Amino acid sequence: MSAIETGAAPAAAAPAADASAVLELQDLRREFRVHRGKSVVRAVDGVSLKVARGEILGLVGESGCGKTTIGKLVMKLIAPTGGRILRKGEDCTDLDRAATEAYRRRVQMIFQDPYASMNPHYKIRDVLEEPLLIHRVGGSRAERAALAEEVMAKVKMTPAAEFLDRHPHMLSGGQRQRIATARTLILKPELIVADEPVSMIDLSTRAEILHLLKTLQGDMELSFLYITHDISTARYFTDRIAVMYLGRIVEIGAQDEVIDHPRHPYTRALIEAVCEPVPGRVGVKRALNVTGEIPSATAVPSGCRFHTRCCYAKEECASLPEPELQDSGGGHLCACRRWKEI
Amino acid sequence: MSDNKDKNAKEPVLEVKDLRLHYFTSKGVVKALDGVSFRLDPGEALGLVGESGCGKTTTGVALLNMPSPPGRIVSGSIKVGGVEIVGMEEQELRRTVRWSRISMVFQGAMNCLTPVYTIRDLMLETWRVHDDAERPDLPKVEALMRKYLALVGLPEHVLGRYPHELSGGMKQRVVIAMALFLEPQVIVMDEPTTALDVIVQAQILNLIKDLKAERGISYIFITHDLAVEAEVADRIMVMYAGKAAEIGTNEQIFGEAGPAHPYTRKLLASTPRIKSRVSELAFIPGSPPDLVDPPPGCRFAPRCEFAKPKCHEAEPPFGEIESGHFAACWKAMEDPEYERN
Amino acid sequence: MNLRDSLEGLGAFWKEFSKNKTGLVGLGLLAVFVLLGLFGTLVVPFPGAIDHWRDIGFWQDNPQAAPPVWTNWFAKRKGVVSSVLDRAQAEESTLDSGARVSSLTFDYDFGYDLPPRDVVVRFEGSGLVPVTITLERPDGLVAELYRAQLELSEGDVQRVSLARNCSQEVVEFLRASDEALAASLDADLVKPVSLLFSRLSPGMAESPEALKGAYRLKVNAFLFSEDARLAKASAVVSGHVSGIFGTDMAKRDVFTGLVIGIRWALVIGLLTSIVTVMAGVLLGVTAAYMGGATDWLLSRLYELIFLMPVLPFLIVVSAIFKPTIWTLILIICLFFWAGPFKPVYSMALQIKEETFVEASRALGSRSWRIILRHIIPILLPYSFASMALAIPSVIVYEASVSLLGLGDSSIVTWGQLLNDALGQGAVINQLWWWVVPPGLMIALMGMSFAFLGTALDKILHPKLKTR
Repeated sequence: MSAIETGAAPAAAAPAADASAVLELQDLRREFRVHRGKSVVRAVDGVSLKVARGEILGLVGESGCGKTTIGKLVMKLIAPTGGRILRKGEDCTDLDRAATEAYRRRVQMIFQDPYASMNPHYKIRDVLEEPLLIHRVGGSRAERAALAEEVMAKVKMTPAAEFLDRHPHMLSGGQRQRIATARTLILKPELIVADEPVSMIDLSTRAEILHLLKTLQGDMELSFLYITHDISTARYFTDRIAVMYLGRIVEIGAQDEVIDHPRHPYTRALIEAVCEPVPGRVGVKRALNVTGEIPSATAVPSGCRFHTRCCYAKEECASLPEPELQDSGGGHLCACRRWKEI
Repeated sequence: MSDNKDKNAKEPVLEVKDLRLHYFTSKGVVKALDGVSFRLDPGEALGLVGESGCGKTTTGVALLNMPSPPGRIVSGSIKVGGVEIVGMEEQELRRTVRWSRISMVFQGAMNCLTPVYTIRDLMLETWRVHDDAERPDLPKVEALMRKYLALVGLPEHVLGRYPHELSGGMKQRVVIAMALFLEPQVIVMDEPTTALDVIVQAQILNLIKDLKAERGISYIFITHDLAVEAEVADRIMVMYAGKAAEIGTNEQIFGEAGPAHPYTRKLLASTPRIKSRVSELAFIPGSPPDLVDPPPGCRFAPRCEFAKPKCHEAEPPFGEIESGHFAACWKAMEDPEYERN
Repeated sequence: MNLRDSLEGLGAFWKEFSKNKTGLVGLGLLAVFVLLGLFGTLVVPFPGAIDHWRDIGFWQDNPQAAPPVWTNWFAKRKGVVSSVLDRAQAEESTLDSGARVSSLTFDYDFGYDLPPRDVVVRFEGSGLVPVTITLERPDGLVAELYRAQLELSEGDVQRVSLARNCSQEVVEFLRASDEALAASLDADLVKPVSLLFSRLSPGMAESPEALKGAYRLKVNAFLFSEDARLAKASAVVSGHVSGIFGTDMAKRDVFTGLVIGIRWALVIGLLTSIVTVMAGVLLGVTAAYMGGATDWLLSRLYELIFLMPVLPFLIVVSAIFKPTIWTLILIICLFFWAGPFKPVYSMALQIKEETFVEASRALGSRSWRIILRHIIPILLPYSFASMALAIPSVIVYEASVSLLGLGDSSIVTWGQLLNDALGQGAVINQLWWWVVPPGLMIALMGMSFAFLGTALDKILHPKLKTR
């Protein structure tokens, strides 16, 4: 069963690959066996999406929705149990060692914890040179040093010499994240998977990092898969947003569309729950339209997986099979049967 | 145990004057809190907001007089319900002040629940440590536990569960119940919702609002997130580099006119909004100063776009901008209308 | 990470290390050991001992089972310190008959409370040489002790022991002074040297009183034929006490043995500890990182080795072949790598989960790269501390093995010394100076490495935390 992204006629076989998409996921699945194989966690349960060239796609969801797992699948740190990963139209799901190496040059990752993502014993110089050494780019020390300085300039860490001989713990969180970004840029990738890149950084520096990433998007025509639980930063940073719940995408579309006109009840609850720095909120409770807690990923509810918490749920939401993503107008897709009525 | 007729009196339930807390490390004396003063009235929620290293968590632990070594309260006064706790003996603090007058929900507390004890055991231990009596009155304690669990929206059977059997939201509710059930006058909450999902966070914030309205408990709400602070705090104190930068009511800080201190303004401009359309997120270049050797003058001056020579030389006093609204800024005091539109 | 970085790192490390008193003590002790190990032969009284440890001839002139010299401090009656008299006033003269006479006079200042056990005169030379030996006592009496012809050959040493060869002559000497006494003595039972060095008195045979003063030992060698030659003559006074740590039953100087043993202790200790820790670390990290079948295999191997009792294994091996020190080292290495394996395994498991390891994999690192460049460098401090701490156990192990007679008897180790001691009746004869010093040395060397290891651990351990 493949997910159908657009409202086009359903294809019987796997949908045609889009050669222009820097990343395409087709019905990607990943299961984990837990409790000695007695239960199965369906962390990613049929996700399809595309990231175009030079586009930033935000993947938004709460803990356990599978967004981090998607990041790892795209980075090939773990292998999918179903579905396909495509890059520029080519199937990259199962690659041999050489092809994986080539893949890794094109797809890079920025991690959430800017300190933990670098070996604390390494100097910044070593951190930046590691990808070069792994992929045998830059034959001499001088060449590698030049490349390192080039990317330092791109992330505005100049003069480079001031930072190259320091250890990560000597830099601030924002600076470290910039070095982490520089590390991803040094091999000139096409796609960067950014997993919560600013959530461990001070508020006043977050925008700086996001601004930097956005500049890189423009200058280098980079694409980003921006994984976050914070939908409000997604507003500033992304072109399109995909909302995930319990392993599936429940809504996807242009960012202002999704945020200003959310269709899926979960997206609505998510947006409703976000706090704003505005007066007059004390003593006023939020109407959340969501009940209960996120169910365990080992026991995904039948039918629409959100129905157990949805206050608009009807009988059919539980009994009919899971709704696919349908176009609600202008490329704004949502996986809710009843969106028109709500 | 307290009684809430305090809320009718004008006496503040918490009064802090010129509090200084320093960490005596091998690399020098870190002046984590360098002269902080504020008061908390009965039934009020005061927000302490700032970024990492500003001293807000330090203030929280100082209020219970339990800074982690090598920290020490160097000078200043903290009065909880009129009782001076600076200089009080550890034993007395434990039995008469902590948890019974003022309690705390620590940052990440929900992850610090010992996994081998049931919730009942954990709550009982909290009681034992802070109760004055020789032996706890078990039926009474049990009744209190059930009452407060219900208050935080948890069913009774949670008492028999182990922490790992509960979700994040439930654990945080347990921790809040643990801070409540000795019935203190003040609860300090340090980032109680930071580790939670957005929807659960909203639910916990709803709970806190309920508790505030129904029980008349006073809160100190510590967070780095201005948006969350706006949800719960009646008054907000913005901290920077160990000192208070600004203090004002919810309306004064978040209202039309905007805050007075340049730091608060920038912080507000860096906070993303989802519903109101704001084009660009602001950021503040540079980083907070070294607390071992802070710069002379205003500590924010090196990063402030309005800084004048005076700002680098002399530390601005906490000046009154309007009634109940104070800011430690030369510019704000001399030119209150600057950039306010 | 180039040389300058390494030197910088070393400098910073030294600064911190020098603050640690235990570490400095350990380092100091180790420095002493290393110096003694390298230059010990310059310090010991018997430099040639290393090749002649089991050569009886080499040790002939030493007293047997003599306590250390410094025990005289505590003794009421001071025993004679064994010494070698090799400086003599030499005189060459010619007899009327044309024969050459080589006269050597040895001065000996005797101030002890007990007479020497023996005086041995050694002759080296060639040809047939008649010799005479006389002793001039402080009380003016002269004893003619020996008159015989020696057959000297090149490279050979002829020894004349006064205790063995001069009983008759001593009785004769006494007869000249005290008839009655001499008549009462039995030449076979008398102790000639004791009498020679005692005051003349009627009861001098039963309770000798030492005659203190200047003695002169005169040796005359008559060189009649052309090829007769006296190359060298010396006298060895064999006393009651000898050396810094006395002598053993085989007359070997214990102190010399100890110093020689340092080399082997260091070699065995360092070699085994380096090999075992390196192997343990490499295997532990590989098992932890690779997981799966590799992990399973290595963990089972570890369990097998760890639980196997080494001593019975050693006994079996010794029964089959006579082990040399190298086979012993090999066996220790084969078993001891299991020590560091488990801690390293669990540490590596933790490090494996670190984000920077994941980041390195995301960049495209292969497993070997992550193991060598990320995981092992973090474990280096632990490894060094581990090595330092392993050395004492290895040394004690070797000593125990040698003690049981399973070691390599061809080399001199402290364990071997202990083995000899116990085997040759040190305990029964209360020869404490034979047993305590080797044990002390083992303890001291172990202590120095343990101090070093603890200091290293304390300094380097905080950096094991990766944040």
